[in-house]
Amino acid sequence: MDATIIGAWVATGLTLFIFSFLYKDNPLFKLAENLYVGVSVGYTIVKTYDTVIVHLIWKPIVENQEWTLLIPVAIGLLMLTRYVPKAAWLSRYAFAFIVGVGAGLAIPRTVSSFILKQIEDTIRPLLMLVPGEGVTFSWNLMNPASSVNVIIVLIGVSSVLFYFFFSVEHKGPGKMVARTGVMFLMIAFGAAFGYTVMARMSLLIGRLTDLIEYSDPSYGRPTLWLALVTIGTLIALSLRSRSEPPEEG
Amino acid sequence: MSFAERMLKIDRRIIFVVIALCTLLPLLYPVGLPIKISQEVRGVYDHIESLPERSVILLSLDFDPASKPELYPQAVAILRHAFKKNLRVVAMTLWVSGTGMADELLTKVANESGKQRGADYVFLGWSPGGTAVIINMGQDLYNAFPSDYGSKPTKGQPVLEGVNSLKDVTYAVSLGAGNPGVEAWYVFGKDKYKFELGGGCTGVMAPGLYPLLRSGQINGLIGGLRGAAEYESLIGQKGRAVAGMDAQSATHVAIIVLVALCNMFYFTLRRQARQQGSQS
Repeated sequence: MDATIIGAWVATGLTLFIFSFLYKDNPLFKLAENLYVGVSVGYTIVKTYDTVIVHLIWKPIVENQEWTLLIPVAIGLLMLTRYVPKAAWLSRYAFAFIVGVGAGLAIPRTVSSFILKQIEDTIRPLLMLVPGEGVTFSWNLMNPASSVNVIIVLIGVSSVLFYFFFSVEHKGPGKMVARTGVMFLMIAFGAAFGYTVMARMSLLIGRLTDLIEYSDPSYGRPTLWLALVTIGTLIALSLRSRSEPPEEG
Repeated sequence: MSFAERMLKIDRRIIFVVIALCTLLPLLYPVGLPIKISQEVRGVYDHIESLPERSVILLSLDFDPASKPELYPQAVAILRHAFKKNLRVVAMTLWVSGTGMADELLTKVANESGKQRGADYVFLGWSPGGTAVIINMGQDLYNAFPSDYGSKPTKGQPVLEGVNSLKDVTYAVSLGAGNPGVEAWYVFGKDKYKFELGGGCTGVMAPGLYPLLRSGQINGLIGGLRGAAEYESLIGQKGRAVAGMDAQSATHVAIIVLVALCNMFYFTLRRQARQQGSQS
């Protein structure tokens, strides 16, 4: 049998088993869930072993005599001393190295990218000097750099920052500013939720598109047969749970 | 029990069926709703369009099968565009669980475009370290990836001629489903090694990446399946993303109606409770 057809049957079955959770929790869902976790972890372990141990460590050392690689290997092995209580202190050297290098690399770059660049973008001139036209104020809401958008960003950033400034009680004019900040936050949460809904629906569309494709006779109609199997199993499980006597509390 | 109370306690499985039908029917019977191209998607398209032939585009497929419905169509559309423009494609992934899928995707699109591995494109695969890989590539690409996904040495491959590090890449696009992804490519790649960067992401991540777009830190952003559909429209090769747009619109309408109805029932119940409170 062609691997594509086997793949279609497996993918269809697992999709339907996972979808069966929407009816209620059942053994088919558990089977698909455990398979997903097992396959993901197994795949990651095999790929990591092949790439790291075989291609980046073993082959360069044995075939190319790159002995300097033994230094990172030794640092990596120190991590494993965590499992030997008497030698666990050695792992601190490895962690210290990783934390030191990681922090050194990440902090300056993150500050530059997410703080300085974003502040630079927030503080833009409210009015623009256009050659021949003099000082202008643009009202185009669709242009992120327009004057009106710069003002909206300024109000939004200031009011949200004020909302999270807890040293001053939010009353009087402060209350109004804080409420403005809440409104901006709500708009941001709404946009985020809207995108989340879109993303989740996209995942559903992706699976249903595959199910439609696999209902084709060239694959042996796995969608149809496995849907019948899933529905039949759910009915059987439901009947069995009804016939069982209720647990005594 | 009033009608509003009954509606608010409706079996959630009925809502699942409604959403399933709203998704399934447009997929079976597409209407072909128009797709408007956004500036952020056009940013990536225009930049690739402006590149001269045989320029080097780096495509980092930073996702795994869990995000396939959104990011796979984006990757297909970008690859088709790059191959159509006769660009040299250097593909890789920072996600170990996405390597097999990335290779399959690249091979499929390259074959349909008549491109040759090693001459027109290369798949570097995955290397451990996450963001450290980007820094390593910025210093020496061959040190980060001594061999490609097929264990062939990267040095000497015609597709990588003149490319020693990220500084030699004309344009990079990261299609990311999380971390490491677009942000990591900006922070440890573009900001340090100064190349132009575009991004693609899942719908969930898109709002978080808009600040990078607005400030010019990335020159374009393809967000979710919708972004993929826009890109497919731009290159004139409509695929799975465009096919899914009718279903996307139908489910959105269904959800808006459900949210509006729920709010209506909720306010009705609140008004009833107030009236009962004032009477007693």
